[in-house]
Formats: sequence, structure tokens, C-alpha cells
Amino acid sequence: MSANTNFIDPSVLASLDNLELRARVVVEGFLNGLHKSPHRGFSVEFTDYRQYHRGDDMRHVDWKLYARSDKFYIKQYEDETNVRCYIVLDASASMAYSSGGMSKLEYGRTLASALAYFIMRQRDAVGLITFDEKVKDFIPALCRQPHLIRILRALAQLEAGTTTDVVKPLADLAMNLNRKSLVILISDLLDDEDRILKTLQSLRAMGNDVIVFQVMDNAELNFEFHEATEFIDSETAESYITSPAAVREAYLENLNGFLDKCRKKCQTSGIDYGLLNTSQPLDAALSSYIFRRAKSF
Amino acid sequence: MSFLAPLFLLGLLAAAIPIAIHLIRKEKPPKMVFSTLRFLKTTSKKMVLFQQIQQWLLMALRAGLIALLVFAFARPLFDSSLGELVDAAPESRIILLDASMSMHYADRFERAVEAAIDSIDDLGAGDEVGVIVFGSSAMRVRELDADLEGARSFVRSLDGPGMESTNYIPLMRLADDMLASSRRERKSVVLVSDFQANGLEGEDSGWQLAPGVVFNGVDVGEGPSRNLFLADVRSPTQLIEGKSDYAVLARVRSAGTVHVDEAVVRLLIDGQEQARERVSLSDASEQVVRLPLSFDSAGSHRGEVQVSTDDFELDNRYYFTLDVTPKIKVLVLNGEPSDNWFEDEAHWVSLALAAPEESSFTVSTINDDELTGASLEGVDVVLFLNGGSDLSTVQSAALSRFVEGGGSLFLAPGDRVNAERFNERLGTISPARLLNSHLPRGSDYLMIADMDRRHPILLPLDSEWNMRFQGYWNTSASPDARVIMEFDSGAPALVERRYGDGNVLLFSSSLDTEWNGLPLQGLFLPFIHESLRYLAQPSGKERAYQIGDVIDLSSIAVEAASLSLSTSAGETIGLDGEGMVYRARDIGFIEAVSAARSEVYAVNTMPQESILERVPVTSIQDLVTNPETKPVQSEEVKTAELMSTIEGSQRLWWWVLLLVIIILLVETRLANTSYR
Repeated sequence: MSANTNFIDPSVLASLDNLELRARVVVEGFLNGLHKSPHRGFSVEFTDYRQYHRGDDMRHVDWKLYARSDKFYIKQYEDETNVRCYIVLDASASMAYSSGGMSKLEYGRTLASALAYFIMRQRDAVGLITFDEKVKDFIPALCRQPHLIRILRALAQLEAGTTTDVVKPLADLAMNLNRKSLVILISDLLDDEDRILKTLQSLRAMGNDVIVFQVMDNAELNFEFHEATEFIDSETAESYITSPAAVREAYLENLNGFLDKCRKKCQTSGIDYGLLNTSQPLDAALSSYIFRRAKSF
Repeated sequence: MSFLAPLFLLGLLAAAIPIAIHLIRKEKPPKMVFSTLRFLKTTSKKMVLFQQIQQWLLMALRAGLIALLVFAFARPLFDSSLGELVDAAPESRIILLDASMSMHYADRFERAVEAAIDSIDDLGAGDEVGVIVFGSSAMRVRELDADLEGARSFVRSLDGPGMESTNYIPLMRLADDMLASSRRERKSVVLVSDFQANGLEGEDSGWQLAPGVVFNGVDVGEGPSRNLFLADVRSPTQLIEGKSDYAVLARVRSAGTVHVDEAVVRLLIDGQEQARERVSLSDASEQVVRLPLSFDSAGSHRGEVQVSTDDFELDNRYYFTLDVTPKIKVLVLNGEPSDNWFEDEAHWVSLALAAPEESSFTVSTINDDELTGASLEGVDVVLFLNGGSDLSTVQSAALSRFVEGGGSLFLAPGDRVNAERFNERLGTISPARLLNSHLPRGSDYLMIADMDRRHPILLPLDSEWNMRFQGYWNTSASPDARVIMEFDSGAPALVERRYGDGNVLLFSSSLDTEWNGLPLQGLFLPFIHESLRYLAQPSGKERAYQIGDVIDLSSIAVEAASLSLSTSAGETIGLDGEGMVYRARDIGFIEAVSAARSEVYAVNTMPQESILERVPVTSIQDLVTNPETKPVQSEEVKTAELMSTIEGSQRLWWWVLLLVIIILLVETRLANTSYR
């Protein structure tokens, strides 16, 4: 994506307390810069009933069909989107890290709200899962304006937790997805990446589209520290005294190995992967979503 | 390796700063919560170890940078050739070691000995040294030679200071003479002294050391000093038995740098205290004390004045002797009795001798024609006034026997005397033969032009002889006579001759106012008194001598074998040289005994040595240093100059700074790859 003067700097977004407003600013700004894009809009067509999922509005249950099949079926209205999107946001302690601007969690929170706003604006259904070592919030994917408020409120109230377990919420989600969905994972992936990628591959194998936004702080990516420092792990509280200059090269080597591994595994698995620097605008993430949405649906 | 500015090396302490920073910062790194340590913990241990080494290396480089900068500022040089260069100019040095009496004060002499040895220690192989131990003169001398250890032994063997006064210049002349024979390039005189100011008293000769001879002074007299001393003691020169108004006058003076307010002065005669006075010096530096004295019978006595003790014991006592004698019997032979009293010599003489009370003289007057052998019995001195030419042969023979037997005669020929007959009658005993009387024309007159002021008669008469002589006798002094005074014409005015055991004085003018104005002068009375006293007691010894004075013992014995000389402690001492003389060396009494007679002499310190006032070393240095001599430089300064020259050619600090720059570049490179 080329640079655009309408892109909003993350530091400006951070000054906006209202998450909805922040999401609108991001999305509207993004769309203004997208007016020449060939991906303007996409059709929303009725297809089928679907099986009830926890969280579905009971008003939409087709009671007649239930009587015949003894199963809950949700009646799909004509205006219902045919895209179900789940935003999975990592809220572990490592996501709380910030080297000065927005923290990764704040950045992810803004991205998630912007995506939700955008998806809802496209009349698609959006759900939210937040987690640290366990699932903190689960909001099923719906396409109603009050639903967006619910998602935004959940995001606004989200606080960083402790350790990370990315696999569990993804595994839970995979078990509950009964139709093709778009899963957007916003995380730093600082967990067992092999297990994470394996789970993501499973999701993908189940026919879902998966987008991974790996959010990293600029300091994590460049490690531009100068003084000898006692580094304390945000999740384990383990400490490590070292000279950054001495280990920078090795650190970056290790980090880039990790990022490359994540990126390549995603690519080979058909997972859309995007590395986000918290010092950069959020538009790249939105572009990636649009690209994926247009290609798959 | 040496340094031109070694004090800069103190800056090496600053090298501890980077070390301290390194250690302090190592102990307390800042803490930072970071997202994960997984990428850090997997970094290479070698990398961390290398970085630690890098940090230590950086610390060492920074400490080294400071050390090298300090090193450069200290101006290093290789001094392997320094010793050779210093030794290239061997030195001749004369050490003048003050051993005068004032060096007895406190530990001055011990310090002087140490300083002298230190001065010898400064010398090295090839140098030579000589030592002069001095007071008012050279007491001991060690010639210049290269035996430094011998010189040290010589100095260590010195017993202690003597009793002499201080006199710098003659001894420096001696040192200069000794150095003149040296071929060494560098020559110096080292004066180790308490730098008493009186050592330069009266010095205005303008003498200076030879060009190139360096003067160095080592002052061992620093610090406060407390000293009371008897600056002067006046005891009666001759005591007459039965007189009671005698007194000893003692002048007590505080002469140290710290003033002494109170003191007690005691007078002892033959060891018994006879008087005691307290003096207060609170508002003055000195005070005169009167100590009453009286004797009932004739004889010789030992006197001593003491002042209360202070820090300098030597000068707290003054010794003197007293001779109490009967009155002097004087027979006046009047050759020209006159009704006009002013033309009568006997009148003037009687006026001078007949004091109202307690006169020292018993005077009887007769005309010269009344002289008989009987009239001379018991007489000490015959005063023959304006006579002699009319004596009979019997009378003249009686006079000759009188003088030969120990009597004394004072001749004062006037206008009545016939020269030819005078010479005939008294020529054998007279100190001079009369030639002719001389009366200057008109208002012309003669004056006393020359005199022996050290003669016992003239010594007490500290006055100008400015009376006019309108008449006098031209005389021809006997070969064995001694001229005491002369007229400005060259003619003898007062002549002395010893005849037999007696003494004869001839005054070449009259003792009235016909030929001169002497009787009208205040000098007349003491002149008559001193002349008669001298004639009555020709041995008239000093009351007290000072250290260094020569005591003539010829009146006691004619040869040393018949003389016994001892101190008041009973220690036997010897004479000096071949003559019958003894040079006083120690204070106290000296008793000289022969078969014929005995005498006691008192010896005292020299008062000027008690004055501890000092002169700055630089004053003597300025006084004696020749302008052509290069400014005085200590060994340290010379060495420093030499080092500066060597350092200038080596310029090690350039290379050190170059090394600093290289290290700085390395440090910069290293620091940029490191965290500091």
C-alpha cells in the first residue's frame, strides 16, 4: 500500500478516547483514500439456513423448521451478509508493551474496532474473541448496529492479562464455526508459534479464511537500546541483564527468524499474514482485509 | 624514566574515575519491562562474554587515556644520561661550620653538624670537599680532597662549639683562597651557622668571593631565643683599704628574640654573696644594677656577678679580680716654689691629688734641696717638678737607688731646669736626655699629635688632647725607653723607661700654666692620677679578660718552667707558644704562680656573642656573591634544567599524545559498537 496523506497516525488515534470515534476516523479516512479502488463494494446474497450458535438472537430461530428437525435453525434474512468475520484479539501481558507510543494492545484494540466498524459498514457479520491465557470475551458474529456497540464496549473494557495461550481460543473457535468464516487474529504471536500455526492451518483447512496481523512494537523490531539494561519479561517476570549493543545483532537474527517462520508458514498454508509496526498507520491492515475479502467472497 | 613535572602524576588518581563509573554502573543497570526475553536468551553466550570483555577493554582504554594524558603533562624523559651530565661538572665545596660561642645555644651545633654532613652527602664521586670550623678565626681546618667519608668523620669528630665570637668574612676569605687552588669547574662555599648579626659587624670591606664561587647558607638558628646576659660589669680598678663607697656596676641586657622581664643579679666575692638586686626589664631591653662593695683590708679577691638562669647559661656569669691596696704615697719635689700659685707646679699637682675625702694618695711636698735618702723611705712615687739640675750627686744617687729598688719617678722639667746639669744628675735613670727647651715664636704652639692609647695610663683617658703647648723640651729618648705621646713636631711628649725594678716617666713640659694649658683642662687630674697609679703599680693588670685575649705572664715568671698555671677548677694548663703568654680559652679564673709572686686572672665571654640577633642568609649571600657569578642554583634546579633540556630533545610527550589519539579512535570505534 502506498502512503496516503489521509492516513491517521497512531499517536493521533491514541488521543481519541472514544473507541467508536477512533474506528470511524480510521475507516472513513481509509475509505476516502480508497475511492479509486477497484474493490468498491461487493454483493450480499441470501443463501441458506444455518445452525444455531450460541449467542444468536433467538428471535431469528425458525421455529417451524425446529419442529420438523428438532434442531434450532436460524433463519437467514435477505439482507444478512454472507460473510462472517471473527476478530481474535490477543490481550496477553506481552501485548501491553509500548516503547513510547501506542501499546500493541492499544494498537490491536484500535485495529479490531476499525475492522469491526468497517465490516459492519459492509453489512457483514462480525464477532469478537479476546484472550490471554484463556478466553476473556466471546461475542458471536452478527450484523446489527447494536452489536457493533457491544463489540466496541468489550474492546474498550479490555485490559492486558497475564500469559498467552493463542491456541485455545482458536481451537474453540474452530469447533464452533459451522460455516465458512473469516478469522482475523491480532496478536504478537509470542507463544509457541508452531502450535499457533498448526491451529491456524486447521482453521484454514476447514475452509475458513484466516488473516494474521502480527503486531510488534518498533523497539521490538529494531531493538535500539543503548544502555546495559535489566530486561524483565512482561509475562514471566523473569529478568535478564545484558548489553543491547552486544546482543542486538543476535536478537534481530532471532527475531527475524521467528517472523520469517511465521510469515512463511502462513504463506504456505494460504493464510494472509501482515506484520504491523505500532508506529505505522493502521491502513495496511484494512487493505489486507479488503484484499482478502474480495478474493475469497 | 623521569618527569619534568612529576606533580602532574597526581592526576593518575583520575584514572580511577572510569573504573568507578564502570563498577558502579555495572552494579545498577536500569530495569525495563520487555515483551519477551525469548530472543535475548537465545543470543550467543560468547557474544555476551565478548561484550563483557569489550566493556572491560573500554574501561581500560578510558583509564589508560587519562593516565597517558597525565603522563604527557608530566613531561616524561629517559634520564639514563642525566647522571653522566650532572657528574660531568665535578664540584669543590668548602663547608664553613660555625663553632662560635652562640652555637652553644640549644641544639644549634648538633643541627649544624647534621647540616654539614647532609651537605657532604649531596656530593658525589669526583667532587671534593673541605671543612673549616670557625669562630672569630679558623679553629680546625680540613683541606680540600675527594675523601668524602673522611670529611664526614672529621665533622662527626668535632667536640662542640668553642667560646669565640663570630666573624664571617675572614673565614670566607680563607675558603675562597682554598677554592682558588681547585681545578674543579664548580666551586661553592656552604656556610652552616646561626647567622648572628655581629658576625658582620663593621664589615665594609666590600670583599666578595671569586667569580663563579657560589654561596649557600644553611641556617640552624631559627626559632625564638631567650637570653639575659651581663653586657658589661664595671668593678673598681683599684680599691683602697677602708674606703666604703665602692660599687660594682652590672649592665643586664635581654638579647634574645623573646624578651625576658625579670631577673636577679648577685654579687659574690670569694664565693660569698655580698649583694643581690632584682631588675625589671619590662619596659627596656637593659638595666644597670649597682651592687655595693667594701673591704677592710688590703689583698687580692675573686669577684663574680651572676644573673638568673635563662636558656643560655654561658653568659650568665661575669668574673673579675679585685686588688685592695693601701694608699699610694707620693713625694712631690718642688723645683720652683712660687708665690704665684698658678706658676707653682706643686700647687696644681696637690690640687689634683688631694681629694677632700678618701683620696687614694698620701701626698707630701718638699723642695728639691730638702731631698734625702730618708725622705724617700716608704714612698711609692716621687714627682719631680721643674727640677733636677740642682740636685747634688748624693741626692741623685739616692734617687737612683730609690728607683732601682722599685720606686717610681715622674719627671716634669720646666723653664727652671738646666738641660746639661739635668742630664748629668738624672741622665742615667731618665727615659730621655734633655736637648733644649723650645718656645714657639709669637702665638705659635704645639699640640699632642700622637699617642699610644693602649698604654695603661692613656687607656682610661678616653678624651681628646687638644690643649696648647707654648713651651716644651726637645728630648732624645733612651734606646730602652718607650715614647707614649708625641707633639705634632715629632718631639716626645711623654716617655717611659724601666730602670731596675722601678719606672720613670718624663713629661717634656711643665705641669703648671707657664708652658701649657694642661692644668686648666679636665684631663689634668685623671692624667696625674693614672700616671701615678701606673707608676706605683706598674703591673696594673686587667680586671678581667675576654675569651681570646692574650694574658702576658712575663711579670710573674721569666720562663715557663718556673710558672704554674691552673684554672679555678685546679686543672693545670700550658702556655701558648714560646713566649710567656697564655690565650684565654675558657671562662672563669686562671691562677699563675711562680716562686716570686702569684696572680689571678678572670676570663669572661665576649658580650657580642650573647646578642643573638640574626642576619638574613640572603644578606650575607648578597654581600659576598660576586656579580659575575651566575645566579645561585640548587642541585635540584640544575637537575631540573638539565632534565628540561633532555626532555626538549626527546619530546616523549608528543608520542604519548599520538598514542592517546590512537587509543581515542579505538575507544570511539569500540564504544560505538558497545552500549556505552
